[in-house]
Amino acid sequence: MNNPGLTEDQRDCLQEIVNVAMGRAGDSLARFLETFIHLSVPKIKLVDSVELTSSLVKMVGEVEKVSAVRQGFYSTVGDTDLRGEAIIIFSDQSFLELADLLAYDEALSDVTENELLLDISNILTGACLNGLAEQMEGELGYSAPSIIGKHILTEDVVAPGQIPWHQALLIEINYTLENSSFSCSLLLLMPGTSIDAVKQKLDHLLDGF
Amino acid sequence: MTIPLLICDDSAMARKQVKRALPESWDVDVTLATNGVEGIDAIRGGCGEMVFLDLTMPEMDGYEVLQLVKSEKIKSIIIVISADIQPEARERVIALGALDFIKKPVDSEKLANVLAKYGLL
Repeated sequence: MNNPGLTEDQRDCLQEIVNVAMGRAGDSLARFLETFIHLSVPKIKLVDSVELTSSLVKMVGEVEKVSAVRQGFYSTVGDTDLRGEAIIIFSDQSFLELADLLAYDEALSDVTENELLLDISNILTGACLNGLAEQMEGELGYSAPSIIGKHILTEDVVAPGQIPWHQALLIEINYTLENSSFSCSLLLLMPGTSIDAVKQKLDHLLDGF
Repeated sequence: MTIPLLICDDSAMARKQVKRALPESWDVDVTLATNGVEGIDAIRGGCGEMVFLDLTMPEMDGYEVLQLVKSEKIKSIIIVISADIQPEARERVIALGALDFIKKPVDSEKLANVLAKYGLL
């Protein structure tokens, strides 16, 4: 891999594809929660493994504790090396809001919290990855969601020792609700070896213009 | 008569997609804007008799552009083209004076259908 960075055209193309996928995932979440979701412009950047934790902290903001879920994804067609991790992060405050939104009388039980985390991860990740795959004329498979941790520090979502790559493409998508402090972030993290596959796909799409 | 047409979207690819989807027979003078601030300036300057407007943009989003056009009583036909496909997003922009809503990604067929619906072709 000579140049891990994206050209301006590639970045713009990826941004727009992510934008469309984010919109579909947002719509799915809005239907599940029966509320209106505020979308913001997704962010795309290349991060070094050492910077990842600080990027996450910056993204999630000044919150005490978070809960996080991960799902692996991979290209199921062709010989492309496209794969990565989708990670959903909620602030603990968001759980209280969820209980409210979904009209639970009491605070959420441990089991209900887990169910909600997994449900929301499935909804967002599934819709987002399907949206991306469709536009990139490919197919993405994904694993079942698993909980990384609950009520943990943002710093502990991704343990530095677990990261088997030096550089990755990080896509940040944030969902917030109006008149509520609920917010959650969807991260797509694609390791360096996948960046070339992504660039190829983008160039193919850009050739169409 | 040539129609001053504004395409307002932060993505170069999205702007190209819209431009490419325009009906060939259409006599338009296209202005491009990359965010809501540039967009409202172009509309105030008379470049947006007709506007294709994105919603999620930096600086100023599409909702704010619609609000300004409404409050300043500017005559402009605005069609929103957005990835925000929540039914409520559509309701909100219609309430703010947009003529219609097209879901991204746009293509010539979707665009022609909407334009034909309002006799704009």
